[in-house]
Amino acid sequence: MEATLDAPIVLTTCRHCGDPCAGGGVRSSHGRFCCDGCATVFALLADRGLDDYYACDVAPGVSQRTAGPREADRFAALDDPAVAERVLGGAPPDGTGAGALACAVFDVPSLHCASCVWLLERLWQVDDGIVRAEADLLRRTVQVWFRRDHLSLRAVAERLASIGYEPEIAGETRQGAATPARRRLYVQLGLAGFAAGNMMIFSIPRYANGAPLEPAFQALFDALNLVLATPVLIVSAGDWLRGAWRALAAGRLTLDVPVALGLLALYARSVAEIATGAGPGFLDAFAGLVFFLLIGRLFQQKAFDRIAFDRTWRSFLPLTVRVAAGDGVWQATPLDDVRPGDRVLLRPQEVVPADARLLDATGTIDYAFVTGETSPVIVGDGELVRAGGRVVGRALRLVIVAEIHHTELARLWRHPAFTRATQPWLTDVAGRFGAWFTAATLLLAVAGAAAWWPDAAMAAQVASAVLIIACPCALTLAAPVTLGTAMGILGRAGLYVKQPAVVLDLSRVDTIVFDKTGTLTGGARRAEPVDLTPYEWRLARRLAAESAHPISRAIAGDTVVDGTVAETIETPGAGIRGTVDHRTVAIGTPAFVAALTGRPVPAVTGTAVAIDGRLRGWARLAAPARRGIESALVRLSGTTTVWLLSGDDGADADDWAPFFGGRVRFRQSPDDKLAFVEARRRAGARVLMIGDGLNDAGALAAADAGLAVSDDTACLVPACDAVIGGDAVPRLPALLAIARRARQVIVLCFAVSVVYNVLGLGLALTGRLTPLATAVLMPVSSLTVIGLAAGAMRWIGRKAVAA
Amino acid sequence: MSVIVLLIAAGGLVAGGFLAAFVWAVRSGQFDDTTTPALRILFDDRRPTTTRSEGPRHAQPRS
Repeated sequence: MEATLDAPIVLTTCRHCGDPCAGGGVRSSHGRFCCDGCATVFALLADRGLDDYYACDVAPGVSQRTAGPREADRFAALDDPAVAERVLGGAPPDGTGAGALACAVFDVPSLHCASCVWLLERLWQVDDGIVRAEADLLRRTVQVWFRRDHLSLRAVAERLASIGYEPEIAGETRQGAATPARRRLYVQLGLAGFAAGNMMIFSIPRYANGAPLEPAFQALFDALNLVLATPVLIVSAGDWLRGAWRALAAGRLTLDVPVALGLLALYARSVAEIATGAGPGFLDAFAGLVFFLLIGRLFQQKAFDRIAFDRTWRSFLPLTVRVAAGDGVWQATPLDDVRPGDRVLLRPQEVVPADARLLDATGTIDYAFVTGETSPVIVGDGELVRAGGRVVGRALRLVIVAEIHHTELARLWRHPAFTRATQPWLTDVAGRFGAWFTAATLLLAVAGAAAWWPDAAMAAQVASAVLIIACPCALTLAAPVTLGTAMGILGRAGLYVKQPAVVLDLSRVDTIVFDKTGTLTGGARRAEPVDLTPYEWRLARRLAAESAHPISRAIAGDTVVDGTVAETIETPGAGIRGTVDHRTVAIGTPAFVAALTGRPVPAVTGTAVAIDGRLRGWARLAAPARRGIESALVRLSGTTTVWLLSGDDGADADDWAPFFGGRVRFRQSPDDKLAFVEARRRAGARVLMIGDGLNDAGALAAADAGLAVSDDTACLVPACDAVIGGDAVPRLPALLAIARRARQVIVLCFAVSVVYNVLGLGLALTGRLTPLATAVLMPVSSLTVIGLAAGAMRWIGRKAVAA
Repeated sequence: MSVIVLLIAAGGLVAGGFLAAFVWAVRSGQFDDTTTPALRILFDDRRPTTTRSEGPRHAQPRS
């Protein structure tokens, strides 16, 4: 860019967050920082003797610059008991006096490294009222115990924010915690492992002996095995039995049915053998089997733990809004209490909570998230401002015209496309496979029994043996272990998948539809000169540096520009003028510049630049393309059909068209995008939609797989199948390759388990399925599948990362 | 024979004790977070440079 040629580049990194200090940053006695926010946090920590925080290699802090100006009373909602309820949890019984402790759990999306944990767990050094804090790095939460008589909940949230960890308060009541489910799995696993290990010991004497043991011993071991196996059936295997029961009650056959059938057959036949004294049964194999099945669940659980998706459109809106209470007082009011007709004050960076009309002469609203439009929109007095827009530049007064729940934002969120009617492919396949498998197994069991018929005992034995050995345990293990491992690999690479089945959806994609703003482009918006000489552009940038307006900041850029500025006058929401190096410079809206130059200015999107009373050119806002996105598009178009659908006016269509072979469409409304994806799918394509913002939400939900791009963990994620970090978008070809590999691994595991099953069926039908053969065959097949699935996936993951 | 029965009973008791301890550990939340404690052990304890006012600093409330 020519603008940097004549500007000295000053690059130092912030002591707090490690970001480059734009324009030299902020200097203090502690060093150099990128912004006042970072300097404040550093000073606070140094003052409390907490500067060990900065002892690690990379500056661990969270940049306070991008967060934008924040309001001091943004946590006022926590004074409301109903809101506080969402945060308070696990509080000890209410006491009085100095012992009254409360416990709160905060979501802190910026919690990301060991230094964060170190600092957050030393919160008690920041404030006396805080007794103890415990961070959870995986789930990004902090649990804080504090003294109620010293500190309010709101003050605790403010303390967290003061050291740079802005807590996120859920807009709605937290959904049921995942903790009980995780704990239950561990108990089930522990019990099954315990039983399997002990039963193996009780069974070995008989296997080693090769002949029945002394009756007294055998009776003792049988009794012990029964005592151990029964809780395994009830507690550890309970989920499969209940799952199968639910499926049967609903008239469906899932893969749970043959598993439950096999487990029950195993248990029932063992009990019958022990009761009749016919033999020792297969209880050791039974417990081992349940143990391995649970290990498959554990893989799945681990993958889920990394990812928390419980956002709704409410998490996008502020918790409280300042409502006019008369006498010029703005009262912080919980969002639910805001009614049409209320006059509200919104400060910069705040989101318009409901459709409203502007009460000020002019204001700037950024709809990037709702419509995908890059440039902020200027609205005039009395104009409608839609919910979801973000206030830019300066505070605005608005009058609410619609109920919070009846806004465009909420309507889009409730769009039928969001409630995924399409059944995930895997459930579908597993269901059909389960039905087929159950039918085949039952048929084979009956056929086996018939073949042995006159011999009733032998017939019963063969039938139960078929049910036991055909239990598709290895099959049930293959998918969760492979997909769980794949989810972990993809997560580390920046693609967070909601459901294991989504990995399979990704592997089958043949058409990829991209959004532009925020997907192909990312990072801070940059201004580009149009029709301006480098000298004129330098004057404009120097003047823009005097203003705090986001457009001005984008024009000023990250580097320092020399020049003396005088007599600056800023008209909020319109523009700024002043003298730079003795030249009169004005930048602003076409109307603003036209009024100054006395000549009409064409109304195009952009910021007009006039020098010495004449219009010289424009500054156009552009979002830079993500690094490496071009080569990623080239690679993707080799294997798939790529499309670009953008909501904006296509000013840079020529830059993108070559990568899409001309398959680009601009000015696409959310409904256009949705219709396009649906049309492609009807034409037989398997569509991957990738986009950010609410304008893509319908298309994301309608596609076979929808990826939401998020540069910010705190950003709202509309109905989608997976979230991809902005930095990971250029890695999409490699990520899709991992998904395709995962599918091949599953097929391989299926093949291996079929070999085992055929082997076992051969033994079962000929009546030679002995307890020893079962005790060897079943764990070995489960172990092979687990080892193969996890091992192959890890190897693929390592190779993909190395590539 | 009776010796083996005795041994099995003793072994079962010990193993059962461990199972009970495991279930207790899971229920009391010790398996809820398996990532952060691994980091926590690496932090050095350094006394804060500024002296702080009274108050139980290391009070360990139970949830």
